[in-house]
Amino acid sequence: MSLHLDSAKPEGAPRATMSVAMVLAFVVVAIVVICAFFGASIAPDSPFTQRLDIGDVPPSAQFLAGTDLLGRDVLSRVIHGAWTALVGPVVVAAGAFSIATVLGLLSGYLGGMVDSVIMRWVDFMLALPTPLVAIVVVGVVGGGYWTAVFVLVILFTAPDTRIVRSAVLEQRPRPYIDAARALGISKTRILFIHILPNVLPIILAYVVLDFAFALVNLAGLSFLGLGVEPGTPDWGRLLFENRTILFTNPVALLLPAGSVILTAVSMNLIGDWLFARLTR
Amino acid sequence: MIRSGVARLILMRLAIAIPLLLIISFGIFSLVHLAPGDPVRALLGTRPSDPETLANLRERYHLNDPFIVQYGKWLGQVLQGDLGRSINGNRLVLSSIKERAGVTVYLCLVSTVIVLTAGILLGMLAAFKRGGRLDRFVVMFGVFGISSPAFVTGIFLLYVFGVVLGWFPTFGAGRGFLDRFWHLTLPSLALALSIMAIVVKITRASMIEVMDRDYVAFARARGMSAMRITLAYILRNALIPVVTAGGLIVIGFLANAIYVEVTFALPGLGSLIVDAVQKRDIPLIQGTTLVFALFVVIINLVVDVIYTLIDPRIRFGAVQS
Amino acid sequence: MMAAPLLTVRNLAISAGGRAITTGTNLDIARGETIAIVGESGSGKSLTAKAIGRLLPPGVSARGSIVYNGIELMTLPKREMRQMRGRRLSLMLQDPFTMLNPLMKSGLHVAEMLRDRSEFRDRAALKAEVARRLGEVGITDPDVAERMPFQLSGGMSQRVAMAAALARDPELLIADEPSTALDVTTQAEIIKLLKRVQQARGMSLVLITHNLRLAFSTCDRIYVLYAGSLLEVGSARAVEEDPFHPYTLGLLLSEPPADKRVPKLIAIRGKVPRADEVAGRCVFADRCDWAEDECRAATPALAETSAGRFTACIRRRQIAAEMRALRGAALEADSALASLEPSISPIVRAANVVKNFAGRRGRVVQALKGVSIEVRPGESVGLVGESGSGKTTLGRTLVGLETPTSGGIEIAGIDASNFAVMNAADRAETRRTIQMVFQDPYSTLNPRHSVRTSLREAIRTSGRFSDQQVDARIAELLREVGLPESYAERRPASLSGGERQRVAIARSLSVNPKVLVCDEPVSALDVSVQAQILNLFKRLQQELGLSYLFITHDLAVVRQVAERIYVLYLGEIVEQGPAEEVIGRPQHPYTKRLIDSIPR
Repeated sequence: MSLHLDSAKPEGAPRATMSVAMVLAFVVVAIVVICAFFGASIAPDSPFTQRLDIGDVPPSAQFLAGTDLLGRDVLSRVIHGAWTALVGPVVVAAGAFSIATVLGLLSGYLGGMVDSVIMRWVDFMLALPTPLVAIVVVGVVGGGYWTAVFVLVILFTAPDTRIVRSAVLEQRPRPYIDAARALGISKTRILFIHILPNVLPIILAYVVLDFAFALVNLAGLSFLGLGVEPGTPDWGRLLFENRTILFTNPVALLLPAGSVILTAVSMNLIGDWLFARLTR
Repeated sequence: MIRSGVARLILMRLAIAIPLLLIISFGIFSLVHLAPGDPVRALLGTRPSDPETLANLRERYHLNDPFIVQYGKWLGQVLQGDLGRSINGNRLVLSSIKERAGVTVYLCLVSTVIVLTAGILLGMLAAFKRGGRLDRFVVMFGVFGISSPAFVTGIFLLYVFGVVLGWFPTFGAGRGFLDRFWHLTLPSLALALSIMAIVVKITRASMIEVMDRDYVAFARARGMSAMRITLAYILRNALIPVVTAGGLIVIGFLANAIYVEVTFALPGLGSLIVDAVQKRDIPLIQGTTLVFALFVVIINLVVDVIYTLIDPRIRFGAVQS
Repeated sequence: MMAAPLLTVRNLAISAGGRAITTGTNLDIARGETIAIVGESGSGKSLTAKAIGRLLPPGVSARGSIVYNGIELMTLPKREMRQMRGRRLSLMLQDPFTMLNPLMKSGLHVAEMLRDRSEFRDRAALKAEVARRLGEVGITDPDVAERMPFQLSGGMSQRVAMAAALARDPELLIADEPSTALDVTTQAEIIKLLKRVQQARGMSLVLITHNLRLAFSTCDRIYVLYAGSLLEVGSARAVEEDPFHPYTLGLLLSEPPADKRVPKLIAIRGKVPRADEVAGRCVFADRCDWAEDECRAATPALAETSAGRFTACIRRRQIAAEMRALRGAALEADSALASLEPSISPIVRAANVVKNFAGRRGRVVQALKGVSIEVRPGESVGLVGESGSGKTTLGRTLVGLETPTSGGIEIAGIDASNFAVMNAADRAETRRTIQMVFQDPYSTLNPRHSVRTSLREAIRTSGRFSDQQVDARIAELLREVGLPESYAERRPASLSGGERQRVAIARSLSVNPKVLVCDEPVSALDVSVQAQILNLFKRLQQELGLSYLFITHDLAVVRQVAERIYVLYLGEIVEQGPAEEVIGRPQHPYTKRLIDSIPR
């Protein structure tokens, strides 16, 4: 097997246009956003109407994705599911990173006791397996979708703080910060006017990646029957409800599963793309 | 002298791990009080709520004592191996755990082997053929893998191989060694694919970074063989970040094992914990969570030690890479 | 005496992503000969070295012919090329700290090269041979072979790398900037070692460097590379006596002499371009004082004027006399130093400053062990030392970026020993009195702020200008440092290193300071740009009456800027006095070593 250690395989000049995959990623995200906000107008049917007489049937002209055990139109439920797939993860990613940015800035720049305390907390939180904690806490406390979101915000804050802190630590020893200090510029100003703009690009890229991870976690929780209330059209919940009809209407499982993957993949691609562009 | 350095590091890690476990156990214990309503009711389950039963429960779970004392007594019991009884069915938590542990361990072991061999190999290949078709495919695979939690992958695998092709059973863990193997193939695969993606991504990125380093170029400039450079120069350095990410990987395993067991209806620890949570069986939740947490902490400790052993810079207290 | 050349390179052209990096380079190296490829950043010298060994990174490719001892390397199958490397020709890279495998013991780097030879199958024999090889490069301590690279100093790592590169006894060694990353004194040792080893082995040596003086003092022939094109070739002596190309002359004159102070360094204006920016004409034309239309019409060819002597300047005959005159004037120029009244009280006074840092595992690192210096108003004082001397730490304590563990600092009469306990008014006043210019031009400015934003912020802290006056002040500052006003809208990414440093200087001037602490402000710049910035410093001193504490490791640089010098070694002042005294008649052995390290 030739290992091409000697090869001068051209890396290719930085492409001005995006690759096909990236375009698709943006399209998918756009579709999800549209479904989330205009689901009611787009969906062919109500996601709640039960037709117990029909039960679960495979796809047909009337029900493009078939129906579930209670006779509900699967396609409509999936379209409406875009809402919980969008809102929760956005709140988790944005919320966790907002807190993390403040903590990371303080921890990274001030150092000393502040840093020790914050990092000790971060290390502790990182030792806990996030999904396990989420399952147990959400399960025991009860509550619904927003409890799950809240728990995830807290759990995500720790790794995000570490990321922000690393980025801050990278900027801190740079001479432009020294110059600002020598000029007597206040710590607050240095943190928010000098350091923050330079760590924001990385934070942005990670926020997008966090979204994907939050989506997967939230879907996972509803897949286990936790989180969203029963009956809510949520992709994870759909997987939970429709497991039993795998043989009669597999689309009822494959469609929400595929939606989760596609959305998460698209956000991951966008996050990676942002990361590559912003850290050049 | 080296041995004592390593021993010291192990002791240091242990010194952190033990208080960590204590704090976690404290948190697990307080779950009882997290549940909405009177803890007694949470512990009641489906039994009749007459005053006598309630008083007995209060007595048995020391609910009349101050919080710290309760914790102390509970911890004492745990350390003696008594994890209490589950509310539903009144079985010893420990027995339930022992019964189910086998499946989970088996699942994780098989998946680990797949992940470590296939994952690292794929990452290496992609790095060597950087920019080529294989590389692009591997990168895509990585992205998909990270975005697909095991329950999603599981469902697709289940459908294709279980329903359409009918090659594998769709639920249960089977009896007997070969039957079990057959039953656990799809779940192991589902588990492995999700985790493998992370390993592939990290391996590939790390290999590419190392391949561009000066010491690799200098080795080539001296005419070292491709084999030697790959093994002693590239791999040894590139695998360090993979080990460092070991903790991350372990967490991934845990979560996804839970999902996989539920998807394929496997009687393992993961589905046990989900059952317990769904039924609000507090002692069972506490017991299984504790065991899980113990696993995580121990494995992280092992990963830490391995990392210390393979990177001499840590041993000698040099600057962190 | 034309022996058959060992290496003949013809028309080597390197390109990356469709863009040209070098154009048609020709080289000839005879057995036992030492040649230098001299160039600044972007000249393509490092890539040329890598191209000869066919070690170009992915994305970079080369065309042309490389004939080694009769064998055409460019068409050689990969396996055979690998056999050539290490055995016939060997390459050493720039940075000694990253050349060695961090997970492999130092000795192993040499041992792995020898293991396949039958006489070294035996462990003991191998170990003895490794020790012998390390001894050849000056490492006599047997422990070193057992150490990991991160436990070695820069000089040690360089020696180990050299031993490894030479382990298979190549006939040709290419050394890429073998001393640049090291301290001045270590640099000189390594170069001496290289020459000694070369002579003992009868090896050919290609030295890649940006330091013309080093090239002259160590090499037989010089190849001058600029923006990817060879501009001048000849024997070291001939080129040094009489450079034919304006760039070579400019480079020679830009390098500050250590033996005398000149009123103004002859700097090459402008900045170093990329090869593709100056295609189709003389690559140096934009910066050349003698450029005419014919120079810009087409790329001049490298022409042979006499045996072995080449130049790419087509106007050579016409400008030869002028160039010689310029050279003469620059070499002779000397300026009378204004003597300073010793009675004037100093504007900066550091008394017995001690600074300790917490090291690893609780050890205490003493960066400064009781240092006392003075700077008088209008005076320029040099602080000379190598890495680890504490010079940067001292500079930082003066502007409040570090706090001394003990000792006193007085700035313009105000006690500035501890910025944290000063009252606000005193602190603000001190910050308006003394400012700092930093070493790395590429991170001295906030990359997200435009020049205007950075300057405006600095001006505002002085509290002396109203909002309306700020814009006028920004324009004034830019003019002061020699930049057009339009630069205010630019971001650092679009500025060259020299331009960024000018903006940084403007920033430090915005509060109208009386003293500037300059920490290695030109070390990270190209030689041709260094002289520009040094001239700027001198001009600013005259126009604004500034005082300088000029921190550097480069004695030649400090000679041009400072009237008085302090020599700092491991946290202590070992010598001080007027510049001509310290450099001309050094007393302390360390100072003597520093001066001996300057390539003549």
